[in-house]
Amino acid sequence: MSASAAYASDSALKSEEDHFRAQIYLLIASLLARPPGGEMLTVVRQLQGDDSDLGKAFHSLAANGDKFSEEQLRHEFNDLFIGMGRGELVPFGSYYLTGFLNEKPLAKLRNAMRELNITRADEVKEPEDNIASVMEMMAGLITGAFGSQASDATQKEFFDQHVGSWAPHFFKDLEAAESAKFYKPVGRIGQLFMEIERAAFAME
Amino acid sequence: MARKEETATDRRTFLKMASVGTLAGGAAAVTGVSAQASEEIQVEGSGYRESEHVKRVYELSRF
Repeated sequence: MSASAAYASDSALKSEEDHFRAQIYLLIASLLARPPGGEMLTVVRQLQGDDSDLGKAFHSLAANGDKFSEEQLRHEFNDLFIGMGRGELVPFGSYYLTGFLNEKPLAKLRNAMRELNITRADEVKEPEDNIASVMEMMAGLITGAFGSQASDATQKEFFDQHVGSWAPHFFKDLEAAESAKFYKPVGRIGQLFMEIERAAFAME
Repeated sequence: MARKEETATDRRTFLKMASVGTLAGGAAAVTGVSAQASEEIQVEGSGYRESEHVKRVYELSRF
C-alpha cells in the first residue's frame, strides 16, 4: 500500500460528519486505553459543546479535567477496569456477549481484523475486543488508517458485529459505575454517540 | 436526538445535524485529541499498525 493511497482518503475525511465521528471514536479510545495524563487532560479541558445532550456531556467532561489529580485518575481507572483481580467493569466484548473472556466473539473479531488488514501492535497483550481497541478500529476504518477508508457498508457491518452489540451496554455501565467520577461523562458520551451511530447506520 | 431523527432521512444529513455545534469552538482542541490518540495508543498499547497514518491524515485535514 503506497503512502499516496493511504492518504487518498483525506478529501473524504474532510466531510464534516466523518471528521466528527473519527474524533469522538479517538477521544473515547484515548481515555479508555489508559488514565489521561497531562497532555490529554489539557485536551479534555478544552472540549466544548453546545446545549444538545452530547454537547452537555462534553461540558461535563471538560469540567472534570480540572477536578482530579493524575494520581486520582490512575486510581479511578484501576478501580474501574483493572482492580484487585478484577475491576468493577470488564471492558471486553466477549465478556459482555457471553459472560466469559476470549470466547467466540473474540474469534469473530480476529477474523474481521484479518479481512480488514488490522494488526495488533506487538506490545499489546490484552485481547483485541477491549473497548478502547474497537473504538480505535472504528476510527481507523473511517480515516483509512488500515490502508484505505472503509466503505459505509463495511463500517456498518463492523459496527453491527463488533461494537453495537455490546458497547452501548458497556457505556451505560460505565456511567452508572460506583467508581466512576471523571469517567461518568465518558460513559454518557459513549452512550449518546453509539445511539447516533446506530441510528445513522440504520438509515442506509 | 429524536427531534433530529425526525427531520433527517438520510445518513449523511443525520450525522451532519448531529455533529454541527456539538463541538462548537472546539476545533483546535479536538484536532489535538486526534493527534494525541494515535500517538499514545501506538506507543503504549491497545494500538494498531499504521496509526502514524491517522496522525498524518489529521494533519492534512485540520480545519
